Amino acid sequence: MSQWEPKIVAFMCSWSSYPGADYAGLSRLAYPPNIRIIKVPCAGRINPKFILSALRQGADGVWISACHPGDCHYMEGNLYASRKFALMKNFLEHTGIEPGRVHFSWVSATEGHKFAQTAKEVVDSVKALGPARHMIKKEAEVA
Amino acid sequence: MQGYTQRIREAAKRLLAEKKVDVVMGFRKGTIPFMNEPFLAKSPEQVDQLLWDGNCGINLANYLSGRKDRIGIVAKGCDSRNIVVHLLEYQIKREQLYILGAPCHGMIDGRRITEELAGKEPLQVEEENGRIRVSGKGFEESFDRKQYLQENCAICMHRNPVVYDELVGDLVEEQRDVDRYADVREVEGLSPEAKWKYFEDLIAPCIRCYACRNACPVCYCPTCFVDESRPQWVGKTVDPTDTRTFHFLRAYHVAGRCTDCGACERACPVGIKMRQFTKKLEKDIKEMYGYEAGVDPESRPPLDTYRPDDPRDFAK
Amino acid sequence: MNGNLGLEPSAGAVMVVGGGVAGVQAALDLAESDFQVYLVEKGPSLGGVVLQLDKTFPTNCVGCLGCRAQHVGMAQLDESIPVNDCSTCIVSHKLEESGRHRNVQILTMAEVESVEGGAGNFQVRVRRKRRNLDWSTAPPTVSYGADEVVSLRVGAIILSPGFKVFDPSIYDTFGYGVYPNVVSSLELEGILNPYGPNHGRPVRPSDGRPPKRVAWLQCVGSRDLHKGAHGYCSSVCCMYAIKEALAVKQHDPEIDTAIFFMDMRTFGKEYEEYYNCAKNEAGVRFIRSRIHSVEPAGAGSGDLRLDYIDESGQHCSEIFDMVVLSVGLESPSGIQSLAEKLNISLDDNGFAAVGDFTPVETSRPGIFACGAFAGPKDVPSSLIEGSAASAASAAILSNSKKAGFQGNTYPPENPVVFERPRVGVFFCVCGSEGTGAVDVASVRESVKGLPNVVYVSEEMLSCGPTAQEAVVKAVGERRINRVVVAGCSPRTHEKFFQETLRNAGLNKSLLEFANLWFQDAWVHEDQPAPATQKAVDLIRMAAAKAVLLEPFPQQEYKVNQKALVVGGGVSGMVAARSLADRGYPVVLVEKSDRLGGYALNLFKTWRGNDVGPYVKELVGSVANHPNITVRLSSIVDRVEGYVGNFKSTLSNGSESEVVEHGVVILATGGKEFEPAEYLYGKDNRVLTHQQLDARFKAADPALRSLESAVFIQCVGSREPERPYCSRVCCTHSMESALQLKRINPDADVYVLYRDMRTYGDREKLYLEARKSGVVFIRFSLDSKPRVDRVDGNLHVTVFDPILQREITIVADLVTLATAILPNDAGILAKALDVPVGREGFLCESHLKMRPVDCETDGVFLCGLAHFPKSLDESIAQAMAAASRAGAFLSKESVRFSGAVAYTNQMMCSSCGTCVSICPFSAPRFNDKGKAEINPALCRACGLCVASCRSGAIRLRGYEDAQIYAMIESI
Repeated sequence: MSQWEPKIVAFMCSWSSYPGADYAGLSRLAYPPNIRIIKVPCAGRINPKFILSALRQGADGVWISACHPGDCHYMEGNLYASRKFALMKNFLEHTGIEPGRVHFSWVSATEGHKFAQTAKEVVDSVKALGPARHMIKKEAEVA
Repeated sequence: MQGYTQRIREAAKRLLAEKKVDVVMGFRKGTIPFMNEPFLAKSPEQVDQLLWDGNCGINLANYLSGRKDRIGIVAKGCDSRNIVVHLLEYQIKREQLYILGAPCHGMIDGRRITEELAGKEPLQVEEENGRIRVSGKGFEESFDRKQYLQENCAICMHRNPVVYDELVGDLVEEQRDVDRYADVREVEGLSPEAKWKYFEDLIAPCIRCYACRNACPVCYCPTCFVDESRPQWVGKTVDPTDTRTFHFLRAYHVAGRCTDCGACERACPVGIKMRQFTKKLEKDIKEMYGYEAGVDPESRPPLDTYRPDDPRDFAK
Repeated sequence: MNGNLGLEPSAGAVMVVGGGVAGVQAALDLAESDFQVYLVEKGPSLGGVVLQLDKTFPTNCVGCLGCRAQHVGMAQLDESIPVNDCSTCIVSHKLEESGRHRNVQILTMAEVESVEGGAGNFQVRVRRKRRNLDWSTAPPTVSYGADEVVSLRVGAIILSPGFKVFDPSIYDTFGYGVYPNVVSSLELEGILNPYGPNHGRPVRPSDGRPPKRVAWLQCVGSRDLHKGAHGYCSSVCCMYAIKEALAVKQHDPEIDTAIFFMDMRTFGKEYEEYYNCAKNEAGVRFIRSRIHSVEPAGAGSGDLRLDYIDESGQHCSEIFDMVVLSVGLESPSGIQSLAEKLNISLDDNGFAAVGDFTPVETSRPGIFACGAFAGPKDVPSSLIEGSAASAASAAILSNSKKAGFQGNTYPPENPVVFERPRVGVFFCVCGSEGTGAVDVASVRESVKGLPNVVYVSEEMLSCGPTAQEAVVKAVGERRINRVVVAGCSPRTHEKFFQETLRNAGLNKSLLEFANLWFQDAWVHEDQPAPATQKAVDLIRMAAAKAVLLEPFPQQEYKVNQKALVVGGGVSGMVAARSLADRGYPVVLVEKSDRLGGYALNLFKTWRGNDVGPYVKELVGSVANHPNITVRLSSIVDRVEGYVGNFKSTLSNGSESEVVEHGVVILATGGKEFEPAEYLYGKDNRVLTHQQLDARFKAADPALRSLESAVFIQCVGSREPERPYCSRVCCTHSMESALQLKRINPDADVYVLYRDMRTYGDREKLYLEARKSGVVFIRFSLDSKPRVDRVDGNLHVTVFDPILQREITIVADLVTLATAILPNDAGILAKALDVPVGREGFLCESHLKMRPVDCETDGVFLCGLAHFPKSLDESIAQAMAAASRAGAFLSKESVRFSGAVAYTNQMMCSSCGTCVSICPFSAPRFNDKGKAEINPALCRACGLCVASCRSGAIRLRGYEDAQIYAMIESI
């Protein structure tokens, strides 16, 4: 088990958390190397199905990060998205996905520190849960 | 409820004769007990087939999407709420509809009564004074109506239609002291592993016939996600992850739109209680956004809007 | 291409001197309007002081609008730029645009030698150094050869040489240059800059350790009449000190930060809120005291002691381990000789002398000034003046415009959709920052076998022409049709590589990035193996997406070259006239029955010029302008359409009229707040500023016999229900107080204030008022003055912090410096999707970087509708709005961005979710009841795409399939 390292898929808004990650890089703020970022224009672009897809593909964790409420580059994308995310997170957890697999945060372009800190928290929390067990799409079995 | 049939027929006759509508959508006697079937009366001559009793559980709003004609429609509480959802989602225009509101006493769960009969074949079902009288070859049994309602009807808090042009019966008293979410809370109290298991067992019998989807008035996409190939959410083989994905996404797609009309469970040939998925979303939406689907024709569905002070403590 | 000035010199050109943000903005606006621009910069690169800053106030941003590209792009055009080691991105989008704009010729290391001729036809000689650039090194090395002199013929000249930072070493009391831990604010910016040697960590110069207690001393070199210092206020230091304190706190909230100040001057939009947040939430300490000296504390500790007297008169002494001198701005060096060469006047402070009604005109016609050179100012104001100078120049050149736009020529585009995907992976190892923990050689080997990858490049050392050539060559030879750049961030390099793709005959959309340095190598330095694996993963994901990229289609639409200006106040009229002078038809709508707006009620400008005659002249010229149609007593009832093709319905109550136009300028103005306190409305001796101005205008004889007059500041401003500062009221009170003193020198005049905010050269009014005997008494929000009527007399009672007791003034006149409120913009804000702020002011696209553009394309704003401002500032902003609008109107047609959402009609369920949620109103139902997206309005945020249950909407560049492909390849 000591060898296991979680794979975490992150969806980041291109105006806040994605540059926030760049800012962390610029500032050389270390965080664990388990996160794979997929850039999207806005939190609004993130279909909750992406989370499901990541889990089906075997991701051990999912992290979604966007502009702070009120700071959306597209004015209100993250406010709409926030409702979808809140429902999705509760629903996943209600149906048996452990709390701590799917994370959400608001990180702005200048919050390199918050980015690195949140990345650590996300990785720690997923590590504590161990490898994903549910929702994973295995290769189709021939009956 | 006895007078409903008469008043539906009178109204239908009048509407058709006055050419206020092109069709009247209601129910007629079904070919099997506990299952009245939807019926479109197109002329005054046909209206005498229309009837009303506790077996009109099918949600007629399901037949409205995309219709261009003028329709008189008999609507109990949930049908009317689905009409509102349809109006909000531009599936029909209010001016196309003449709504005959039918205050509802709850629909009978024929499946459970059939089980009680333990193999005896019911041929006739009658309702009187809160009792359901079922008779067949050589037997007659009586049931307390209240005890044999559909589960969603037993906890329904919108029995009266929320929109209508005229009523076919007196408004009923709404149930107030109903705990709609006792079952949801019970699941919420489980451990993640037990939750997973709970839903795994729940959907284990699923054969993915999609009857629940087809019966649902708010499932009207031209192409359903189950038919998408990239990514293929639901494959051709029986895969528990795919089945889970189907139920999960189906429920998610009706979030904020589902009126808990029970059409899905009613349609399920293997008796899956898939309302356990939708009710969680319904509960969260009510608690977080104060929204109930189909109750207010003026307010946008909860995922179509936001409030600056929405709860956001789910995020860091 | 390389600044060889190959264009025919023409009087239809403009020379901009100074490549800071104001100059770049001016150059860009002109270039977008198809004027030829020569951008002359003394130093080796563009960007000015802004490039040296860490974050910016009040947005705290590093310029997210600018992050898309850094000035890398300029390298192609003007090889002078020693790029790499990406500099901060704050101004980069503007710089990058100007650098790549073929209408802009950049001359760096260049200075103006002489100017002859006059407006419309100047002959200029510019001396510059020849440059050589060696691209074989990383970063490329620049060397300079002999001087050369270039002759230019231009129609107008814009001066934006910026400012010089005050050198605090003239003070011996602060120990600057003596104690290592006394630094200037600009030095602190360098320390906090993430691109700096400490990657932005605050450290003390003496020992490199993080400080625990940092003090800022305000007004160093400003508001100081000592020799060598300046009497004026530098306008920006209060805000940048707060910003720096917050930046330090962001690194470590435990660091104690204290700002020592005289008056906190946070007078801009959202500035007061920023100040409140620093004070109340972030825990920055604000101490009202001017520090006279800095003393060492403890031998060898490097710590510093500040002795001061606090507000209650107590002597205090505190130890800090770092002291920051908030140095002011002064006129740029060498400005005297430039002014002589150009024959323009400077003011007493060495800044360009400009007029109240002509805020960007110098004393010589055809020569304009903008930015801090026309007086110290912040970035948004500088950008506004840059645009305003552009508008003023364009008006001169309107007859000789279109100096010769040279469209970029690209090879024909490979349609690619008919080919199998062939991905090329290009490794970009630029900069000295290094590849950190990532073993690039091993990554290169690993990605060679990825599906559809046909080519993996060598390590490219720089993002200049050599890299461009290498990509173009490989694309041609290997028939590559999708490009993955492995290395830098798309935020910094997307534009550059898009350009490269176009030169290689590929649609710019066929590009994807694997962000190996910022998001991998530099953050996992101690974990080489996982970092290397992550690099491979990132490239695999990028390649998986790249395979599915499709070329963006190109569509054009026609532009209606007419403008609608809403609001007939000074801002609206100036904007209308500016556009009309350039030949564009304008419809000017005014709600009331006369033109003039707020300015009709003003007496004098802060420089002392009468407002009345100016407004009269302006109204006359607008009313009689052949290109302006004025509609009085009219409002806009309805707006439809989108940039280039708006259709508005005007109504005057009885009739309506439909106007088609390409742009809208919102100048809906503001009004005076009517207070419910201080006996206003209950006693006719209590006035507002406008009411007092009316008495001045009427030369009311009663004013001559006043014995005592009181001004109360911040009435309705800086209160919990209206937290902003109304910006102009302190200055207005100074003018009025002085006017009262002029009328009757014996009158006792009192000003009750909270912070005196006479920013910039307005400070001299404050000084003059003090000199002429006006008495100033400060109060705080929790002990506001009272106005009572006692035996028919007005009694003003206030707690005097110096006497530490209440005093009562018997006043003949009380003037309330009331807040300025925005007018209600009616249906316009909603119809045009312009957000309205908490207090009703219309919101610009970006507080810092786009001060007149609205988020909705083709919509611009100016004047009091945007925020309270003085008349000269309103005029400048109105000209800026006209400049931005004119840049758009100059085109007959505009190309859509290909990166937009679009619907599949077959899959649309007509549920209306997209129509309901789009912040830009791009989706609409078509006549078949299906959703359709107007590409002119779509901003490609993807909200509708993710909200469509039916999967009927796709977003180019971020298609579902592409994102799922990335997820699947993790």
